[in-house]
Amino acid sequence: MNLLDRYLQAIARLLPKERRADIIEELRVNLLAQMEDREEAVGRPLTRAEQAEILKRHGNPTMVAGRYREPNLGFSFGIQIVGPELFPIYRNVLALIFGITACILAVVTVTLAHTTHETVTLIRLLTPLPIQFAVTTLIFFLIDRGKDHVLNRWDPDELPEVKVPDEGPTKKNIFRFTGLFIGTAWVALTPHWPYLMLGPGALYLPALQLQFWPQYRFFYRAIVALLYAGLVLEFCVMNRWLTRPRARVGELVLRALGIAVGAALLVHGPNYVTSLYKDVADWANQTFYVCVAVAVAIHLWNATMEIRALIRDRHQMLPARQY
Amino acid sequence: MNESPLENLKLELRRGCLVLAVLAQLRREHYGYTLRKALADGGLEIEESTLYPLLRRLETQGLLSSEWREEDKRNKRFYVISREGKQVLKQLLEEWRSLDGSLENIVREVRV
Repeated sequence: MNLLDRYLQAIARLLPKERRADIIEELRVNLLAQMEDREEAVGRPLTRAEQAEILKRHGNPTMVAGRYREPNLGFSFGIQIVGPELFPIYRNVLALIFGITACILAVVTVTLAHTTHETVTLIRLLTPLPIQFAVTTLIFFLIDRGKDHVLNRWDPDELPEVKVPDEGPTKKNIFRFTGLFIGTAWVALTPHWPYLMLGPGALYLPALQLQFWPQYRFFYRAIVALLYAGLVLEFCVMNRWLTRPRARVGELVLRALGIAVGAALLVHGPNYVTSLYKDVADWANQTFYVCVAVAVAIHLWNATMEIRALIRDRHQMLPARQY
Repeated sequence: MNESPLENLKLELRRGCLVLAVLAQLRREHYGYTLRKALADGGLEIEESTLYPLLRRLETQGLLSSEWREEDKRNKRFYVISREGKQVLKQLLEEWRSLDGSLENIVREVRV
């Protein structure tokens, strides 16, 4: 069923991640049933050409995936300009273009303001956006007009080969592990080298005579222990020693402990340090308090997302596939 | 009339009936492929790429419910009409019959 796998892989790439496995599995079952019916009718296994014909009749992967993505969306202005199949791609392209333009404009504006002291007006700043919108929309309008002609000219035999799942660590996992390693090292080494956190300001620490609150050691050790545990978990995930659901449960447990530590810090705050200079102590306490509050909020949000993903996977009853 | 506008008109005419046909057919449980076959046997051919996303949409709207179950050593997603779907189907059928009656009257007058 190599041809079918290649076809499903092409559709899967264009589907929303959270529904991908479920939709692909359903399509697989339906297409297999159709092929088996046909085999029964002709009394022999289907040839590659016959399989390709069934897939071709089922539709171009781009169109098929497009119909699973918010099918009622489209862009109309008297006439339909971009249809529902292409609209998700159109929206993503626009978002990407606007995002890149916004970054470039920000850099250009700051540079101009510093180098020429010229005031950049809002209208001048925003001029490229409607032009880009018009050009992108025109391109998609033309593609949409000819989409039937273009999208019908495809051959299942020309679809890319199925990617065999890589057994080694993925780039994403290596990146996450490296990031966590650097973060953990930074937190663990800061008490020995305050320069890591304060930079040259660390030279003033003895003069400030900072005094940490008595429970400081307990909380600091708890945070470092959680970071070490996260590092071990990420190392196991990177080397595929843990299945994804187990890793998710592990992450969730660590996150819950992190939230508990953060909440306890917030309850005890914001008097974490005292100093000869009250202003400095107040500034340090307030900054730390806000940082902990933001960290707790981020962890709560991520925990909610992870719980949702766990519940979703439990309901889907599907094997993890390579898609 | 060109074939393309006629095809578009036929498509529009059919589109409104699809939901009604699917809801009616799913008073008995089906998975995607057998549903398509049952509809085709009843004289209503639907493209797979139209039917399967439509099932998802109707389920999201609460008109269908579904579950993955093993049949013939293969996991399949079976759909069936929900309680809310049955109420909607009843109302849609009333609407359909009323429309059908009105259209019949209009067409008869045209013939005369």
